[in-house]
Amino acid sequence: MAQEHDHLESPRLQFPPDSNAYRILAEIGAGVSATVYKAVCIPMNSTVVAIKSIDLDRSRADFDSIRRETKTMSLLSHPNILQSLCSFTVDRRLWVVMPFMSAGSLQSIISCAFPDGLPEPCIAIVLKETLNAMSYLHNQGHLHRDIKAGNILIDSNGQVKLADFGVSASVYEQNVEQGWGLSSSSCSSRLMLTDFAGTPYWMAPEVVHSHTGYGFKADIWSFGITALELAHGCPPLSHLPPSKSLLMKITRRFRFSDYEKQDRKDKNRKFSKAFKDMVASCLDQDPAKRPSAEKLLKHSFFKNCKGLDFLVKNVLHGLPSVEERFKENKGLHGVNATAGREDEEEEEDDDGDSGGGQIVKVRRISGWNFNEEGFQLEPVFPAADESELDDSIVKKVRFAGESIIPDQKTDKSSGSGDAEQSNQSSPSRAQGEVEAPVAAEGVSTGSRGLDRDSFLAGLFALKASLDVQRCSVASLIGILGGELTREEELMQENERLRLEFENERGNNLELELELEFLKAMNSGAYDGGELELD
Amino acid sequence: MKGLFKSKPRTPADIVRQTRDLLIYADRVTSPADSRDSKREEKMAELSKNIRDLKSILYGNSESEPVSEACAQLTQEFFRENTLRLFIICLPKLNLETRKDATQVVANLQRQQVQSRLIASDYLEKNTDLLDILVAGYEDTDMALHYGAMLRECIRHQSVARYVLESPQMKKFFDYIQLPNFDIAADAAATFKELLTRHKSTVAEFLSKNYDWFFAEYNSKLLESTNYITRRQAVKLLGDILLDRSNSVVMTRYVSSRDNLRILMNLLRESSKSIQIEAFHVFKLFAANQNKPADIISILIANRSKLLRLFADFKTDKEDEQFEADKAQVVKEIAALEPRDRP
Repeated sequence: MAQEHDHLESPRLQFPPDSNAYRILAEIGAGVSATVYKAVCIPMNSTVVAIKSIDLDRSRADFDSIRRETKTMSLLSHPNILQSLCSFTVDRRLWVVMPFMSAGSLQSIISCAFPDGLPEPCIAIVLKETLNAMSYLHNQGHLHRDIKAGNILIDSNGQVKLADFGVSASVYEQNVEQGWGLSSSSCSSRLMLTDFAGTPYWMAPEVVHSHTGYGFKADIWSFGITALELAHGCPPLSHLPPSKSLLMKITRRFRFSDYEKQDRKDKNRKFSKAFKDMVASCLDQDPAKRPSAEKLLKHSFFKNCKGLDFLVKNVLHGLPSVEERFKENKGLHGVNATAGREDEEEEEDDDGDSGGGQIVKVRRISGWNFNEEGFQLEPVFPAADESELDDSIVKKVRFAGESIIPDQKTDKSSGSGDAEQSNQSSPSRAQGEVEAPVAAEGVSTGSRGLDRDSFLAGLFALKASLDVQRCSVASLIGILGGELTREEELMQENERLRLEFENERGNNLELELELEFLKAMNSGAYDGGELELD
Repeated sequence: MKGLFKSKPRTPADIVRQTRDLLIYADRVTSPADSRDSKREEKMAELSKNIRDLKSILYGNSESEPVSEACAQLTQEFFRENTLRLFIICLPKLNLETRKDATQVVANLQRQQVQSRLIASDYLEKNTDLLDILVAGYEDTDMALHYGAMLRECIRHQSVARYVLESPQMKKFFDYIQLPNFDIAADAAATFKELLTRHKSTVAEFLSKNYDWFFAEYNSKLLESTNYITRRQAVKLLGDILLDRSNSVVMTRYVSSRDNLRILMNLLRESSKSIQIEAFHVFKLFAANQNKPADIISILIANRSKLLRLFADFKTDKEDEQFEADKAQVVKEIAALEPRDRP
């Protein structure tokens, strides 16, 4: 219904593009270059809104990506999608005004009140609403590219909205860029993208392999990971640093059983067969075999789904407010995180969301304590269809492959690109290693004979896997307060100091310039007016 | 009757024709009394569906790739009559989803070839008033993003870009870029940039012919704007324009002006790193100019020590060899300057 009226009364018109019309109440989320506030719009009867304030000078992203985000947000209209009400600049910052979702992000709700995951009926409600949003988006030709609990927001009445289109993309716009000047028949790779975007833990394998191109099904993968996140309190592999998680994604598969082994603490958490089946279908390595959002909505898991009031009663009731949660976590954050780690966390959560981007970081750190998967890693190799999968994708996307290099470049330089940054080397490294596990399959099954090459490849894969384990074990030791080896300690210290140094240098430079100009202004010699003389 | 129609699949040309009829209907029925009519609602729904069908022919969908033959048929029928005009005029009457579909259809048609001709370009050349409607769309908050997206596709045709550049409306972009709504202002800026960078020879010709008013406006309204975003985008675009080889005549003229130098030096001392860096890329042209007028030289000499100190600490975030090399060159030029007698 709301859609019908859109052309008559545009919601964008109503909210004034002027910072004086808003009064900020509290900070509710923060990232590297963005802060989210709770505020009221005074001329609109003091309607409560969320304002995402993005520092444009710090985000090196060219304006095109920011433009695309705000445009996407203001042109989407669906009850399950967080719309921007208006956006405008305030000096160097861009303010995006959005409806205030008072319960915040699911991620923050989980970390505050459901550390071991949500009850299954609640998961079903949330996921169904999210799927509605995804189905709409995909129909519009948009990929969200960053689906995760941190981007799913809930209002006090239980309404669920998908947020944060910072890295979303339109397959149509991409096509127009690429396909211009080519005859239509050569535009065979439509509905495929090739650049690298999202948050590592939730990223589909084919996104990691961004040279092969990916489509809507990448969102479905992230949706599956999000389901696991809601069920367990954190995404799989979240005990690993992001780049390692990326690597593991392609050398190993997720199964529910992985989690069940690890969930010794609460044996009574059993999930229904329908749920497991639904998640498994989303996490198929072959994108083509994953169902579409529309098809998922018809899955038996979503039948007899309870209403939003169930969510209000069982999840929202008694929850501290978003502001309180943010404050609390801010304090915690400062105590818990080591400097180096903090930086890494900050990087990948560049965009705050209106439910508390900050909280994501804390959650991941506390998540380490009970996630023991790191100890259980075995070199489990992907099934044989991996190779055949690669083939079929390559066939489909050869054309899209042309734009990889420029695309990656823009991504790297973009402000949101820290997750990418930490992975600049990963995709290529990962590619190298994918081959190995496939070849090693012969070894592990033992039935296909043992030739030297494949054995060697297997050993390499094992070695890579051991490195990953070593790293995660070291992290765990660190978290549990154990001692790191001297070398590792020094490396961490070194990195921390380097960052501090860079910061100081930047500050110093700025101050010096400032001083210089103040002096110059005083003497008048560098002033514009003075130039004309002489 | 309905069953009969269903059994026979409509050709792309059929869909275009039906869409056109429905648009003519939508255009005609405007009074509020009519809009309550259930028949109208039905027709509008049918129109939305038709436009969506056109889109899926042009872009394909999850099941099928687009077929070039079907696209060509569609395009031919579309431009045989005034369908594009109807699309543009009736756009405000469509609902949001249909507007987006229509915009994508129009965008796609700009690059469809019929017998290796871009017939969209031919059509627009004969119907330039449509471009005026699209440009003026920036003044309408509801339509701006749709018309803006269409316009950006249309100016990919050189002749169309030339028309817009030379139209009286070109001046309005200086205001559109600074509209308070960020998404609209940013869209206008994207179009403005496209107009001034895409078709090299046309741009060079336009800038030479319109140098005086264009750069006067550019300096005062954009480079000296109070709006951070405007300054940042403008100085970046200025660099792109002046560094383009095809604009070398314009560049030479620009870097010989003392006023321009003053503006760029002011930008160099902004506290924003991004603006400083972009300003440097323009400033270096003043310094590198081998035929510097005397007043430029004297300004540079008067500010020599300050400039050299500024550049000593001037760094990009990431290492950038080209930038360092440029900087070294500029420093060398400035250090070596000798006062010259005024002409």
